[in-house]
Amino acid sequence: MSAFSPAGLLALSGGLLAIGLFGILTRRNFILLLISVEIAINAAVLNFVYFAAFSGSASALSGQAIAVVLIGLAATEVAVGLAIVLALNRLRGSINVAEANALKS
Amino acid sequence: MIYEELAFLLIAAVAIVTALNALLVRELVHTILWVAIFFIDLAALYFLLLAPFLGVLELGVYAGAVTILLLFGVMVTRKRIFSREAATGIGPAPVALAGLSLAFVLLGTEELPQSGSVVHSYDPALLSAQLFNADGPWLILLGLAMLSALAGAIYLVREGRE
Repeated sequence: MSAFSPAGLLALSGGLLAIGLFGILTRRNFILLLISVEIAINAAVLNFVYFAAFSGSASALSGQAIAVVLIGLAATEVAVGLAIVLALNRLRGSINVAEANALKS
Repeated sequence: MIYEELAFLLIAAVAIVTALNALLVRELVHTILWVAIFFIDLAALYFLLLAPFLGVLELGVYAGAVTILLLFGVMVTRKRIFSREAATGIGPAPVALAGLSLAFVLLGTEELPQSGSVVHSYDPALLSAQLFNADGPWLILLGLAMLSALAGAIYLVREGRE
């Protein structure tokens, strides 16, 4: 049994969310965008695990169940994102998201 | 316990530094190596929070599968793997937005109790019961989402699509 302050844990996940947001807004490479989204999703999953750990009742385990589902969904999102990367690379010869403007005509 | 506080501070510092490095470094392969360290660090944090099943899942899914998938994506989209990214000028607006959101969250954490609260351990068998129970069949929903994502990914990359 161990003790932590929730403020430090939440500050960590807030910082990770800010880093992910910064990456999403500034990077132009599709793979870097995917990595930024993963960092932000991991910050959100951390919150579920914290509050499940602090609550202590049996129903708090649903927090960890949601974290399991979110980790699976994030991995799925990377797989679909990489399929988009491959299709974009085949069509445009580059994975720069600024060049993916086929819908603008 | 002072040791756990120290371990948490170390893990938090490593997480912030590796996440920042992953986004600021110029070579894409180095980015993926940094992000692999970030995922391993998060798994250590889950073990520290007495959630060992999630720690193992983070190691297997993120540090294993996602990292390899990203490396594969870099391999097939570049002629030379160690080629540098073109420098992108970082405008003031994204930095300001990220800084504002960070300040907002940090101000919110001021309201929380600063003293330690107890972390509870649990039986992993209870977690599996939670994952399969009738009023929230989480794993079945996750499987359906993964199946539809598989179909979508195959549709996106198949040959001869115009």
